[in-house]
Amino acid sequence: MSSSGIVIALLILAPALLVGAAFLASSSRAVIRLCAWGTAAVAAVAAYALWMVFTTGPLFAAGTWLMLDALSAYHLGVMMLVFLLSGFYSVSYFRREIEENIFPRKMARRYGGLWFGSLTAMITVLVSNNLGVMWVGIEATTLLTAFLICIHVTPGSLEAMWKYLLMCSVGVAVAFTGTLLIAASTAAGSQLTHALLWTHLLQGAAGLNPFLIKAGFIFLVIGYGTKVGLAPMHSWLPDAHSQAPAPVSAIFSGFLLNTALYCILRCLPLVEAATGNTGWGREILVVFGLLSILVAAIFIVAQHDIKRLLAYHSVEHLGIIAVGVGIGGIGVWAALFHVFNHSVCKALSFFCAGTLGQVCGTHDMRRMTGILRSSPVWGGGLIGSLLALIGTAPFALFMSEFLILKAALDGKAYATAVLFLTGLAIVFVGALRHVIPVAWGPETSPRVYGRASATETALVCVPLVALLVLGLWLPAILIDVLNRAAGLLGGGL
Amino acid sequence: MTGLLDAILVMLILTSFLLLGSSRLGACIRIGALQGIMVGLIPVAASGADITARILAIGAAIIGLKGFVFPRLLTWALRDSDTSSELKPFVGYTASLLAGIASLVASFWLASKLDLAAGASSQLVVPVAFSMMMTGLFLIVARRLAVNQVIGYLVIENGIYVFGLAVARDVPVLVELGVLMDVFVAVFVMGIAIYRINREFDHIDSDQLTTLRG
Repeated sequence: MSSSGIVIALLILAPALLVGAAFLASSSRAVIRLCAWGTAAVAAVAAYALWMVFTTGPLFAAGTWLMLDALSAYHLGVMMLVFLLSGFYSVSYFRREIEENIFPRKMARRYGGLWFGSLTAMITVLVSNNLGVMWVGIEATTLLTAFLICIHVTPGSLEAMWKYLLMCSVGVAVAFTGTLLIAASTAAGSQLTHALLWTHLLQGAAGLNPFLIKAGFIFLVIGYGTKVGLAPMHSWLPDAHSQAPAPVSAIFSGFLLNTALYCILRCLPLVEAATGNTGWGREILVVFGLLSILVAAIFIVAQHDIKRLLAYHSVEHLGIIAVGVGIGGIGVWAALFHVFNHSVCKALSFFCAGTLGQVCGTHDMRRMTGILRSSPVWGGGLIGSLLALIGTAPFALFMSEFLILKAALDGKAYATAVLFLTGLAIVFVGALRHVIPVAWGPETSPRVYGRASATETALVCVPLVALLVLGLWLPAILIDVLNRAAGLLGGGL
Repeated sequence: MTGLLDAILVMLILTSFLLLGSSRLGACIRIGALQGIMVGLIPVAASGADITARILAIGAAIIGLKGFVFPRLLTWALRDSDTSSELKPFVGYTASLLAGIASLVASFWLASKLDLAAGASSQLVVPVAFSMMMTGLFLIVARRLAVNQVIGYLVIENGIYVFGLAVARDVPVLVELGVLMDVFVAVFVMGIAIYRINREFDHIDSDQLTTLRG
């Protein structure tokens, strides 16, 4: 087996083995520590794989069934970062629950097992070159993460889990129809066993039946779009995000949604090539993206639950990414940059909201006012990340959104630009209305937050500073990585 | 072997209609199992004389899972529940049957427009697949009980499987097994979810899961 084969196999097998390890851990504390350090170990393998991809080109394994190219490697990097941050945050988050004795060993083992199980499934999605295997991975993430939502069984979490399970299972089933249609679009004479291999499809993309591939893409966008949380298929998302424990919400919002979006993006070049690069597939993404931004904006204005607010921000930001890719050119580059920015920022905001929620005993923003004074670290992190999320300059999210807008104007897509700006403006004003009292309002009641430890302070400050720095200065290596990933989607600087 | 295949496809439509018209949960689970067995027979019937061990194995796996394991699982999930039938569905049974007929007509029209089944061995495959997908979706939307929604999901899944046979007969066996495993885990997870919902709420009426809004 070649070295690339070993790296990819290790990427899938390492987290799979850690599932078993989680069930052998001796205490709740040990499981959570395993989640943090085990994820770090997988991240190290992923870092090596990334280095290989960006120095020597795409890696292949298992025939050509598994592949890691610039686009999937970039997504893998962002995903490992989110998992790594969440892993270390869970140590802090569950420490409180362990102290209160509401996180027994059995529950912790289940949590650890599902944690690494979801990681395995998401890595499988990213490294798969076979659209069928990709689908199997996505469906597996749905099933594995469902129980993470209701790790604490309450009526609310069960309700959220049921909606998530049913909506996403049906949605993903629709996506399978799309996958079959894409397989059917290959010429009748070609070898059917290769009909699902992405590289094979791309090679012969010009000869694909445009009608079938168009139909397939619509099914894929609706199907995977349910899991991405694109409006109007987003209704499971705020429930699941608000009911899950904070580290899980961070993974949901920070990367689970992106995994599904990645599957849509994978198929975009096929559709574009098969329809003669007329931008047919891109227009669909723009429409769904804009709709998501506007629908999320309306719900953000009326939202009082902090975690639900963050969930609607996910709908908005995934919409922004879809619009960016849909516009094309520099927009694709900016959208991929936005993937990184949004994932990091959203993970951070869920961390802060989770800890503040634990201390306040509520996620209602009207009852958690004045947090900047009562908890400078977590409060500061929450307010900082919320300001970044609504697009305040000079955070990196502002930069990527600005570039997407520029791409729209350059491409003379004025209607898109206007709707995009309208949505962002509503979000900005609507969210700021909630944020100001939460930050500077009178303290609702004096509370004991306890001092944040050095790790916790670092967990909040490092992502925030990184987002600030990336808004002002981009390292050449990141520009290059993004350029290569965007190149696969027909865009770039 | 078109005769046998057509007979099975007609049976699939009939079981879908039975599901639309049945209120008792036990009956729905059994009809679902029957449909699962029929779906498992399709690859065997479609291949006719040139049958391979692979087709037999897949068929056996489908029949085992959909015909025997899933009904057990769902019955198990219901073991502590007093609910035995759907009392007030969102859409009544007569209206459901009419919707089923309408979806069948729509499917035939759609299939004639699409002309997908160039390689399929029977002209009925594509319309039946479409009609099953629509029926499954309809069951999910129109029924209150979580168990019926799972059965709806299975009908969609069956429909997609039939569709897959028509448009891409040669799905790699690894993918096929992966899909089957996912469906199995899905039903397993849903079964546990139903059991927990039942314990927590004393009902399995998903319509009453409405605390989370906005």
